[in-house]
Amino acid sequence: MLPKRFDQVSPFVTLGIILLTWLLLPFVFKTFTRATFFEIQAPLTVADSYAHDLQDFWSNRLHSKDELLQAGRDLAGLVAKYDFSVQQNQQLEADILRLENLLNLPPLPAFRLEAARVAQRDFSGWWQRFTIRKGQNFGLTVGAPVVFSGGVVGRITEVHRYTAVVDLVTSPTFRLAASLAGDNRPVSYQGGLNDSFKAPRGTVEFVPLEFTAARNAPRRLVTSGLGGIFPAGLSIGEILNLELSADGLFKAGDVQLDERIGTLTEVTVLVPLNPEEL
Amino acid sequence: MRRYDSRWLLVVSANLVLAWLTGLANHYLAPLALHLYIAGLCVVFAGLRVDPKQGLIAILLTGLLLDATIPVPFGTHLVLLGLIHATLLYGRRRFPREGSIFSIVVAQFANLFLFISLSFLLVGENPRPGEAWLRIFFDLMVSQIVILLITPWFLALQSRVFEKMHIHPETGRALAR
Repeated sequence: MLPKRFDQVSPFVTLGIILLTWLLLPFVFKTFTRATFFEIQAPLTVADSYAHDLQDFWSNRLHSKDELLQAGRDLAGLVAKYDFSVQQNQQLEADILRLENLLNLPPLPAFRLEAARVAQRDFSGWWQRFTIRKGQNFGLTVGAPVVFSGGVVGRITEVHRYTAVVDLVTSPTFRLAASLAGDNRPVSYQGGLNDSFKAPRGTVEFVPLEFTAARNAPRRLVTSGLGGIFPAGLSIGEILNLELSADGLFKAGDVQLDERIGTLTEVTVLVPLNPEEL
Repeated sequence: MRRYDSRWLLVVSANLVLAWLTGLANHYLAPLALHLYIAGLCVVFAGLRVDPKQGLIAILLTGLLLDATIPVPFGTHLVLLGLIHATLLYGRRRFPREGSIFSIVVAQFANLFLFISLSFLLVGENPRPGEAWLRIFFDLMVSQIVILLITPWFLALQSRVFEKMHIHPETGRALAR
């Protein structure tokens, strides 16, 4: 005779039946459930970020008019400087376009810049991620590169309705074709060395034998542009040491990453104008 | 008329609050390269003090809520928390369920099991797993200390929620107002 009450049945049998049912559920159902459960928690995830913005707003309201005038003057100088940079940038872009046409080169991937606030940081020994406060509502796409003034931040791995998740350059799941500054041969970069109370590090492999690096003479690692996700020349970090790899054909070493990644509050997403390129 | 049994909802809500607070703590600990993982605490009240069926529903939903926000195969926490819950149910009649010390011990072991299981699942992706284990060990120590400190508070919070709703966690009967 079957027992009538749940707690009289072996709990493991019950769990086994539930897990078997879970395994047999279609993938579409699991994907939908995951998205639903993420969206349920999304308001909680971003709530602190919005509260922080409000706190900043009210603390800024306390500044005197003199302080605001001084800040305005400083900002005007900065705007003038950036205006000049924009003009230079336009000139360089025109040169690139002219050379592409002259040499029949394929065009470089084009991006739209989308600034986004960081809502939540999640830096563990297993993964390193950000949640940002923009998602499908701003046309973000999975795989889009994320950058800041110091270089690469990561790439978008999940896009939800109002938020997106960024896999960081410090994460062990982040791999990238990079190159050493001033050289165009590709090397392999992977994040994941994140000791407690220390700046994040990554690893670099397949570095040609002629290169050397040391703490007092580091070498800059930049994106290679291969793979079509990150534009070439974005800074990743500095190679602190290079040693012969086990096979003796290449060198491998550690990459010191920017410490500011752990405290970023705002990042820029490079949204591809042609998402098929990713 | 039959009253709707909302015990699972109360437990899931409390677990959601805990997950949110942990997320906040991790946000501010990120510059120090520290990470708290205290999912083991979510299973204690549901496993020891709530009716088995309601507790199981709460635990499975909590597992899915946790899985939705982290990069692990969807259902990982459902399996792991479900296993812990089943183990607690198995020996429930023999355990001193109302004791705070026993609850802390259960939370510690549950979290240790979850932490090690997740580490074995995920550490292979690291370029140098040996170095990653050092970081994981440090995070584990910090998380276990935090669990030691907050388990009494979290259990009291859940008990208080049930009291406020005038529901007995095990029987589901209305408490005298």
